[in-house]
Amino acid sequence: MNTAFQRLQHDQRAELLADWLQHLTTTFDRHHAHPSSLDIQREVLFNAILATLAGVPSDDFRLDPESELGRHLSRLIAEQARQLANPADSIGSLLALKSILARALIALDAESPVIDELLWLDRVFDGLSLFAFKSFVDIRERLIAEQSLSLLELSTPVLRVWHQVLLLPLVGVIDTQRARQVTERLLESIAQYEARVTILDLTGVPVLDTSVAQHLMKTIDAARLLGTRIVMTGISPEGAQTLTKLGIRFADVISRATLRAGIAEALLIVGRRIAPLNEERPA
Amino acid sequence: MRIPILRLERILLVSIQVDLTDNDAMQFQSDLVERVAEIEALGVAIDITALDVVDSYMARVINDTANMVRLLGAEVVICGIQPFVALTLIEMGRGLLGADCAFNLSQALEMLKRRIAERGDTRFIGDEDV
Amino acid sequence: MSEPLDPASLPIRSTLDIVTARHAARELCERLGFGKADQTRLATAVSELARNVIQYAGVGTCLIEDESDAHSRRIQVRIEDQGPGIPNLELALTDGYSTSGGLGAGLPGTRRLTDVFQIESVPGSTRVTIALVKPR
Repeated sequence: MNTAFQRLQHDQRAELLADWLQHLTTTFDRHHAHPSSLDIQREVLFNAILATLAGVPSDDFRLDPESELGRHLSRLIAEQARQLANPADSIGSLLALKSILARALIALDAESPVIDELLWLDRVFDGLSLFAFKSFVDIRERLIAEQSLSLLELSTPVLRVWHQVLLLPLVGVIDTQRARQVTERLLESIAQYEARVTILDLTGVPVLDTSVAQHLMKTIDAARLLGTRIVMTGISPEGAQTLTKLGIRFADVISRATLRAGIAEALLIVGRRIAPLNEERPA
Repeated sequence: MRIPILRLERILLVSIQVDLTDNDAMQFQSDLVERVAEIEALGVAIDITALDVVDSYMARVINDTANMVRLLGAEVVICGIQPFVALTLIEMGRGLLGADCAFNLSQALEMLKRRIAERGDTRFIGDEDV
Repeated sequence: MSEPLDPASLPIRSTLDIVTARHAARELCERLGFGKADQTRLATAVSELARNVIQYAGVGTCLIEDESDAHSRRIQVRIEDQGPGIPNLELALTDGYSTSGGLGAGLPGTRRLTDVFQIESVPGSTRVTIALVKPR
């Protein structure tokens, strides 16, 4: 005596699969290019789900990540998450299969009730959905962490403005980790180019508070130990007020309102200036 | 291990080329201070390019030496601090090293000469008769 | 994952050993793939702690170990002595406090340089453990 699911698996596997794939193509894949590898992955997953349903029902279905079904599902979800698909689509495609199977179950035998089977179907798909949701979030979180790490790398360029003049434009939030990284980079560049002046541009720093100021002071002190002068530019009026009210003084630091004034000052320190082309050059 | 102290007119140049033990450091301090007094030096440049660790003890030796030299009437510039040494010093505590700094000996020398000129001292570099 | 590197156990008896210890720490740090900034941090921290041993206890030991695992690289240094111990730990960890006429940056400074900083001290036994940790 075969269970209802075993009969479905045996008699209707091909049609059900075709139904599901057809449904997915029309509902979810409309806007995306549809790689054929996806169909194969979906078919593998489909077979694994049917095999599980055809097994012995248990009261408490929990998907084992190491099981065959667990591995297939997480691989499919991983791919979708990496392609930045909508999580609702990912879970939705599972639920679409559930409703196809439910309808097939009911149609299988109009005479005898299939309540136990439907409940089993429900439990299995609850487990699958929870699992899918969790893997989706896990992968997205990992992706975000990776991206913010690479952003961090990108966000601290040290630029050479002129011979012995460096520019460090600070953009965004400065926390301890970032301050450390910026300082390390800057010090290496100062030593490498023997910079006599370093311009620290704060135009892109949204908030100047005690902790940011403390990080800045450390950077400035360390730079000074190497023998470079610091010119700070781009402090907003609010920033200047906050710093002063907090009692923070940047002793021995030249501050200029704009990057432009800062560059002029820096050039002055290294004995250069920007002059119009037609002006007579000093002898 | 004694550190050689070079004389360039009224300026003394010291380049610490090895990792110093505490005893070496004290020896260096007294050698330098005596030499400053001996020639009435106007400026001292201390190059620490070769030091890859400056702990709080070493920082104190350098600071003390600088203060002693200043008391004897000479200007002091430290030069050649390695980037990561600077970073470590600042992380341990701001202001561990209080002296003026320059990149290398040549910039230090330039800085000293400017300072000495600014002092308006009657004794200029090369004015050996004073 | 490669085999952990051999630990180095060094005696601290004279100021010359301070130099040896910090060299050993820097070298292992470099072989474990830490950057120059971390190498300098650890070498400086070891130098501070070894000097404390000489200053307050006379003799001690310095054990430098590779404690890396699958997730992170970790270099640990344990410095021990049988000296009088630190009477007031809290005070000793305060910036600017010194019983030796120093700058008072030794212990609090060392704590800021390292990712892990533990100190156990009773009369007759002081043990400071520091470590740098980096995810792989």
